[in-house]
Amino acid sequence: MDLQKIIPYRKMSLKELLVPENKLMALIAIVLTALFFIGVIIYLIHGHHAYGVTREHPWGLLIAMYIFFVVSSTGLCIVGSFGDVFGFKDYMAVSKRAIFGSIITILSGFAVIAFEIGHPITMMIYNVLSPGLTSAIWWMGTLYGIYLTFMVIEFIFLMRNDMKNAKIFGLFGLLVGLAAHSNLGGVFGFLNARVVANGVFYPTYFILTAFITGIYLIFLMYGYKYRGKPFPEDVTKALINFMKIQGLLLAILMFFETWKMLTGVYGGMPERADVIMHILHTKSFWLGEVMCGMVIPFLLILKSKGTAIKSMVWASFIGMIGIFYMRYDLVHDAQLFPMQTLKIREYQLPPSFVDYFPSSTEMMIGFGGIGICLILYFLGTKLFDLDSMPEHH
Amino acid sequence: MARYGMALDYKNCINCKACEVACKEENGVLLGADKHRIWVGVKEIEGEFPLLSIASNTFMPSQCQHCEHAPCQEVCPTHATHYDENGVVRVDPDKCILCSYCMNACPYDARYVDDRTMTVDKCNFCSDTRLARGETTTACQATCPTKVRIFGDLDDPNSEISQVLRDREHFSLKPHLGTKPKLFYLI
Repeated sequence: MDLQKIIPYRKMSLKELLVPENKLMALIAIVLTALFFIGVIIYLIHGHHAYGVTREHPWGLLIAMYIFFVVSSTGLCIVGSFGDVFGFKDYMAVSKRAIFGSIITILSGFAVIAFEIGHPITMMIYNVLSPGLTSAIWWMGTLYGIYLTFMVIEFIFLMRNDMKNAKIFGLFGLLVGLAAHSNLGGVFGFLNARVVANGVFYPTYFILTAFITGIYLIFLMYGYKYRGKPFPEDVTKALINFMKIQGLLLAILMFFETWKMLTGVYGGMPERADVIMHILHTKSFWLGEVMCGMVIPFLLILKSKGTAIKSMVWASFIGMIGIFYMRYDLVHDAQLFPMQTLKIREYQLPPSFVDYFPSSTEMMIGFGGIGICLILYFLGTKLFDLDSMPEHH
Repeated sequence: MARYGMALDYKNCINCKACEVACKEENGVLLGADKHRIWVGVKEIEGEFPLLSIASNTFMPSQCQHCEHAPCQEVCPTHATHYDENGVVRVDPDKCILCSYCMNACPYDARYVDDRTMTVDKCNFCSDTRLARGETTTACQATCPTKVRIFGDLDDPNSEISQVLRDREHFSLKPHLGTKPKLFYLI
């Protein structure tokens, strides 16, 4: 079977494929990927003992990185859908790259989570044979599997410039992706034992921050591609529009966060108020989430009235650091309050919050996932034409 | 078919931890402080000498609450956590994928990872050891020197646990969560 007939790609020798376009980025990608595999080997030898997770804090950096990647994927899917699903011509220029990005980010997420889930093969078997329909993890995992299938089919149609079919599969992919991603928020939102996470906040917040992440990433991808060069006209138009949308989204996010914190502290509800006060005293919240994730990019957007798209590339890099802290903090914060410290009756003040710091193995696998994502991206940009405008064909 | 529960006359607890040892011995729970199905919580004495609050110094034996609406069962993606025919919340290690969601969902911190099977383990009222052999007591109950624990069928009106729950006031942990625990603390 000729693969070229299924999905058009550029034919090249292996040597051409592997020659790096930028040596520094290639080095970063290779080092991170090597760390990923070293981490995996350590994990395969020592199991979860290689991680910093404990009985009281069973989820750690790898869950945070998985969320980081799937948020990125959903976000790029939303960003890509503007052009090829909803048919807004101004955004069409970035659709192919965004949809490709959504595929590789979720694959990187799956690569990371495969080494956090203790029995991934058992999961695939019993997800089908014995589905736990009341479990948000079941829905999230299953829907993400379907989502990935739709996104791959959409991408194939995009590469073939079959916009009609790309639109159909893109729409289904988007809807399933949104459902999957809000279910990921539900994984935390359904936990009535974890008062700070319980409720409607996370399922909606995940969709909002996914959109924000998607826009940061589209700036990073184009900023890298056109480094030291001006953006082409069609990309400029899309990026200026996205930058303005980003301003609105960041404003909404800051509004949401403000009310989350106010409602958390006000009234002093046991457990929730304690945890929120603790969060409000951490640098990772103020410097990571607030400054990097929201304020710095927001101020740039305000100052330039949404036109400084070259500076926005750097602001997006800072923004992605903030997005990482958002993911890490939400996993950590949900588990901060000890369920029964000293194993005593509830509602007695805990002597301390639950401690957690990722082990070196977790860092290697978690951040190494970024290396896998980068390598897939560079291979993709060589193999596929991610720039041609479909309506020109 | 039974509906097993346990009443704890916790004020009788002397913190000898014989129950913890018996549980580990009977069920082959691995050694190590964080590997435990049951525990005795200790609350330190409050105040400064000579104004010490003897009343504040309590021992609180606890374990899986075998909730009727168990959050751990609801969140399990593969039905590894399930209710058996006696209403006991159990884990099927063949189906457990070690996603740890149940450990996060349990409001009582009653679950831990068994390093041999790399699956989540918890108290199952000795269902696959003593009850499977036809005995009617759990290891922790049988060994307790001050008779803190009363194990039995809540559906049998003549069982000791049903009688004691009729006779004495009791409370359960975190009742506001709606989990309906089947562990009862006698006042």
